[in-house]
Amino acid sequence: MEKSSVKTCRYSEEELLEMIRRWVPPERVPSRVFIKDTADFFQVDYDDVVVLGGVPYFVRNNEREGRFGLEDQQKFWVKRAIDLKTGRTKILKWAFWEKFTGRIGDLVYECVRSPLKEARILNIVRGRPDFMQGETFMDAAGNPLRIMDFIYGKTLEDITLSFGESHEDYFFNHYPGLLSEFVTAAESIGFLHANGEKHGDIRRDHLLKDTATGQYRWIDFDYNYRHRANKFSYDMFGLGNILIFITGWGDVTKYTLAQDNPNILSRLSSDDLNIVFHYRVANLRKVYPYIPETLNRVLMHFSAGARVYYASTEELLADLKEASGKLN
Amino acid sequence: MNNEAVIGDRDKHLLIAIDDTQDSKRAISYVAEFLGGFPGFRATLLSIVQEPEEDFFRTEEERIAWIKDKKEEMNGLLERYRQILIQSGFQDDKVGIKLSIGNAKSLSDMILSFQCDMSCCTVVVGRHHKSKTEEFLFGSISSQLIHEAKNCAVWVVE
Repeated sequence: MEKSSVKTCRYSEEELLEMIRRWVPPERVPSRVFIKDTADFFQVDYDDVVVLGGVPYFVRNNEREGRFGLEDQQKFWVKRAIDLKTGRTKILKWAFWEKFTGRIGDLVYECVRSPLKEARILNIVRGRPDFMQGETFMDAAGNPLRIMDFIYGKTLEDITLSFGESHEDYFFNHYPGLLSEFVTAAESIGFLHANGEKHGDIRRDHLLKDTATGQYRWIDFDYNYRHRANKFSYDMFGLGNILIFITGWGDVTKYTLAQDNPNILSRLSSDDLNIVFHYRVANLRKVYPYIPETLNRVLMHFSAGARVYYASTEELLADLKEASGKLN
Repeated sequence: MNNEAVIGDRDKHLLIAIDDTQDSKRAISYVAEFLGGFPGFRATLLSIVQEPEEDFFRTEEERIAWIKDKKEEMNGLLERYRQILIQSGFQDDKVGIKLSIGNAKSLSDMILSFQCDMSCCTVVVGRHHKSKTEEFLFGSISSQLIHEAKNCAVWVVE
């Protein structure tokens, strides 16, 4: 599955500088450039070059975690780079294996960040417009290093919040199209599941609308959670959160209702809240009465009052397509 | 027709799915107390070990060692539970054990697949007392069995 980076071409410093001049503005061209060993991502810095599969990559910034107030948290093992042969921006993702404990309230579960998992999925989704694309090479230490195409585009979150002037305007004029795109994105997760793989970290900022194709792409598949009775239920939880987010035109929480609509808040029961995040509202029809019952029933599968949960994307999609059909 | 086949045809066959929790022990105790000593029943104790994906191990050796340890642990547990049923009055040759290791999409589907293959009339599980959040995020074997089982009874032991 992985290609070896050992068969590297030799580039002189002058050759590399000439290639760099082709793709970056003069003020960004360094006076000297060094080819760095790929074995240790901490040794690879801004303005260095790494060679993988015979292709030199001019390294730019480390990528950052972009959510939950972690804007400043650099991911040292993920670096933006320029493919010096094509000028295309790439994301280089070094192997960074870590096992950690996930927590939601009192619930504790085992998680892992696995380069192998992402490499496997990149192979499965090769050529598909609904997933990020990339190749895996072995770095100098023999670990899988992934080279991903950079995706120019906005997250589903940004797109959702950019539409409409009020929820009603958003819901009637923009939401049907967005829901249709979400259905397609959920089908993509179904494709992964059918191939025995979980996404592992389904979040609204892990779904980017590719400017080049106009289609949403799932990104970041390296997380895995230790499943129990049902392999895919945690992924289903992620899909439910996104669905509620886009239906509510953002997260509708007890706190926002307390400020904006205390009357509505007083009519909510604990069963109306998200089954996992007890401050978020799942029963959005109580907040926006024009949300049709068929659609709200789907949302209620992710509420604290639910008695039955979606165990597969097929189950979710069957209900969602019916609900979506009634919106148009 | 040999004797074993005749017994098999007449006996009611229970499939008791266990894991390493006290909930499974309660299920075994219940079956032992309820049916122990009565003729016409046999039981297969089934343990399905969800093998974590390769991603959870640094090396293949680590993964193989994990599986070996888990096999030993669960085989020991299956045998102990088998003895509990025998001591309650089940005949020695009417209590079998089965250990399966795999990466199933759904444990309940796997249990029902064994139930179907072995023509068991009843599936017995202990009820895990999970929070709703846990059941939602990671699934519940007993809930899924109740919803999905066909042509068999499901006993969920509290």
